[in-house]
Amino acid sequence: MKKTAGSKKSLILFSTVAVILLALMPLRATAQEFDFQKLQQAAEKYTVIVNIKIEVSFGMHSTEQEERYLGTIVSEDGLVIFNGAALAGESPMPSFAGYSLKTTPTRIEVVTMDDRTYEAEFIGADRFTRIGFLKITGAEGEKFEPVRFATGQSFEVGNWFTLYMLMPEFISPPVSVDIGMISNIVTSPEFFPLTVGFNQLQATSVLYNIDLAPVGVLGGLMNPTESMDQGGLLESFGQIGIPLLGVITGERLEKLIADPPHKGKPTSGWLGITLQALTHEIGQFWELDIPSGIIVNDIVKNSPAERAGLEVGDIIFEINGQQLEIDKDERIPIFQREISELGQGTAVEFTALRRTGQTQDTLTLLTTLQEAPMAATDAPEFESELLEFKVRDLVFSDYLFYNLDSEQLKGVVVTELKPGGLAEIGGLMIGDIIQLIDERTVLSTKNVETIMGDVETLRQDEVIFFVWRDNKTLFVNLKTDLL
Amino acid sequence: MLCSNRRTALVFKVSNMKAIFMTFRVLIVLLVGCGVAAASVVEPTIQSDIYNARDRVMPALVHIQPVIKNYNTGELEKQTVVGSGVVFHPDGYVVTNYHVAGRAERIICTLSDKEQVPASLVGGDPLTDIAVIKLDLSDYRGSISVAEFGDSDSIGVGQYVLAMGSPLSLSRSISVGVISTRDRYFSPDVRLPSGERTGRYNLWIQTDAAINPGNSGGPLVDLDGRVIGINSRATLYANNLGFAIPINIVKKATGDIIAEGKVTRSWIGLHCQALQELENHFGAHRNAGVLISSIDPGSPAEHAFLKAGDIILKVNEQPVSARFVEELPAFYSLIADRNPGDEISLTVLRNEQAYNFKVATRTLGDLQGEDFECKDWGFAVKAITRQMQIENQLSDTSGVYVVGVKRIGTADEGGLRRADVILKVNGNDIAGLVDFIGQYNEQVQLEIDKVLLTVKRGGSTRFVLLNLDAREDKQTDEEDSRQ
Repeated sequence: MKKTAGSKKSLILFSTVAVILLALMPLRATAQEFDFQKLQQAAEKYTVIVNIKIEVSFGMHSTEQEERYLGTIVSEDGLVIFNGAALAGESPMPSFAGYSLKTTPTRIEVVTMDDRTYEAEFIGADRFTRIGFLKITGAEGEKFEPVRFATGQSFEVGNWFTLYMLMPEFISPPVSVDIGMISNIVTSPEFFPLTVGFNQLQATSVLYNIDLAPVGVLGGLMNPTESMDQGGLLESFGQIGIPLLGVITGERLEKLIADPPHKGKPTSGWLGITLQALTHEIGQFWELDIPSGIIVNDIVKNSPAERAGLEVGDIIFEINGQQLEIDKDERIPIFQREISELGQGTAVEFTALRRTGQTQDTLTLLTTLQEAPMAATDAPEFESELLEFKVRDLVFSDYLFYNLDSEQLKGVVVTELKPGGLAEIGGLMIGDIIQLIDERTVLSTKNVETIMGDVETLRQDEVIFFVWRDNKTLFVNLKTDLL
Repeated sequence: MLCSNRRTALVFKVSNMKAIFMTFRVLIVLLVGCGVAAASVVEPTIQSDIYNARDRVMPALVHIQPVIKNYNTGELEKQTVVGSGVVFHPDGYVVTNYHVAGRAERIICTLSDKEQVPASLVGGDPLTDIAVIKLDLSDYRGSISVAEFGDSDSIGVGQYVLAMGSPLSLSRSISVGVISTRDRYFSPDVRLPSGERTGRYNLWIQTDAAINPGNSGGPLVDLDGRVIGINSRATLYANNLGFAIPINIVKKATGDIIAEGKVTRSWIGLHCQALQELENHFGAHRNAGVLISSIDPGSPAEHAFLKAGDIILKVNEQPVSARFVEELPAFYSLIADRNPGDEISLTVLRNEQAYNFKVATRTLGDLQGEDFECKDWGFAVKAITRQMQIENQLSDTSGVYVVGVKRIGTADEGGLRRADVILKVNGNDIAGLVDFIGQYNEQVQLEIDKVLLTVKRGGSTRFVLLNLDAREDKQTDEEDSRQ
């Protein structure tokens, strides 16, 4: 699906806007050092506008909304990055009481600066940076000109950058430029050049230095211990609170582009522990010789951590021979991200300390990382039109959330009830974990589908659910309207 | 005075809000009272009956001002609350609500002749929300009046009643209304402000007599001048929806409290639900049997191999039935009233066959453990009872439960959180509160500057270092800055 409008108006528009900004900007002396015309010539090849229709569902309600983003083509075969915060939706914890706010792109359109329009599909969004990935479809054989991020850049306070920003839809031309500079080189919790002069709406725009090298994209830094899912350092935009803005570097982007996240198909590595930072104080208290590391708090059954022989209380201080510089909880996401990015199936060597009484043993443990457990938002669902409820499979995070043992409690969780529907009237509640329906064991949504099919076939007038709720079980009788 | 009373009311509202909203959605239960004045329409005979009832009970009415302790902020906080009560024994015993005086440290009472006397707590029972206090009459020069208890089993809907007490601290107030219903059922998941679940063993008398905060613990009186209930709750944002604990429940509770300081109950770990909607499914006869919906882990019922879905037909050969929820409290009481340790015989319908089970009862025990403030460490804990263990899904009762952490204190800075369970102090196992207090006192006495707590949070083990050195440094800094 390709539409060409062969116009060169965007070139003129770019230049016009740049000139206006130059005239108005108090930072004229610096801004004039950017060769915007040259930048425009390069950038228009890979800068695109992304129009997305998103279905947003909460409970049994759903609405459709349209979003516009500035995107950047990052591969010859049409991979596009954009601000994917609205579509990331990968909180490791289920939403309150089983409710899930789900965002599903229903139609995506990519428009190039020379007005070619393509359809595209959503690939996934990175949990840490919130960068979304699209793939242009319907352009078989076509080679796109991608941005090539500069790596090995050094960043210093005072470095100037420029970027393209998307204008509101009623304004033409659709893009404009902005400039900003590095205000601080953050070294902890991790390296992150902070910028001033930019704003959140410009997230994921490509940052160009004074030599017009694309050194990264604009990202955000939040305190991971205060974020909702403690997902990582470079997250923001979909979160409550205002992030500090800065540079997601070319090195990091190259890694992501080489192996972009696929929604519903986790490829990231997973160890299967909960953890805390080894602070200097705790290290001193235990008289350890190591300055930092992570303390293993809990080990998931049948996880790579268990297979490695890790024990609760062990202190991991090296991965693959590299020192772990985790000395405060804020830095934990660095470890989590490292494990995640190593990917499933990767063999990893840990060096850990085990304290037994007054003695300390250093252990070298080997394991192969496993695929990260499925997120609640990706779990299979089933909607019963007959009884007007929706359920999804239980996922690993449910067990963490409810503090349950996966061996002891099996079933599916009720995520949605139609207001005034038969399930709601009968007393089923969101968050209930259905264990049995009509005495038949429920282990997955497939079981529910089968049983509800039988209910319809047999034209049953009532269905008895046995559910777990608030740490107790009870029976719920739902009346059908089949008789 | 009015001001402090309003504060009491607010405390109660907020504390109850969550639990009751969860259970009843709309119904927000508050402290007691009753009465819609209908004086202009009542006949002269009724007027004289009201006077008569007033004269028989008012002299025994007590305005109660307890000072209660609260540890939820991590440190001992005291509050003065206001409630009502009635003298029911010539030795000066006064019945009131547990949520008024059940956790009182100091109690001041104002009698109907406006004389103030101190009182002491005899004991309380959160499950029926009843407490008994004893007036110290050593310096009292008047004569004490005693109200007579009636029979709550013989009351009728529509019957005139008087509510007496101190609504909004306005002592010696009477309101008039009728009994709206005599068997109101509330889910036993409703919690008192102090956190205990209440109402498992009783129904409520509902009345339209005006009820306001401060009426709690006051008598609901029939026109013969006999106390038929103890006013306990009212509904917020409604007109004249008040609830009293039936006096026959109160008689048993007060008797036990005077004898033992508490109400001792048997426990086998059953939770049941009404059979009404489920009789067909389980092949049960109408009005025969009580459906088991859930069984507490590690309980006598579990050890006896009872299971959810079993229908109890008889308890010690006595037929039982709970077709409606209103019948559940009587069934629970039938078991609770056995002597702990007694073996009970249950006839159970399972798969439409009758079976006999013998279950050895155990003592129900306290719902909540004793509190302890760790002043030097900046948090408060409580002992873990078996009921807390079940409710919080803990593996056993070892350790102590953190009820509150003082903001910006040593423990807060170390990362201790409410609901953590402390299992070790500096490597020493904590079996229970006594152990913990021993460890605490020892560490404080030895002026140990660093204390490592091993805590359970959810399923994870976490290490929390209390850096008491830092606290002293901070205090010194503060002192220096004051100079």
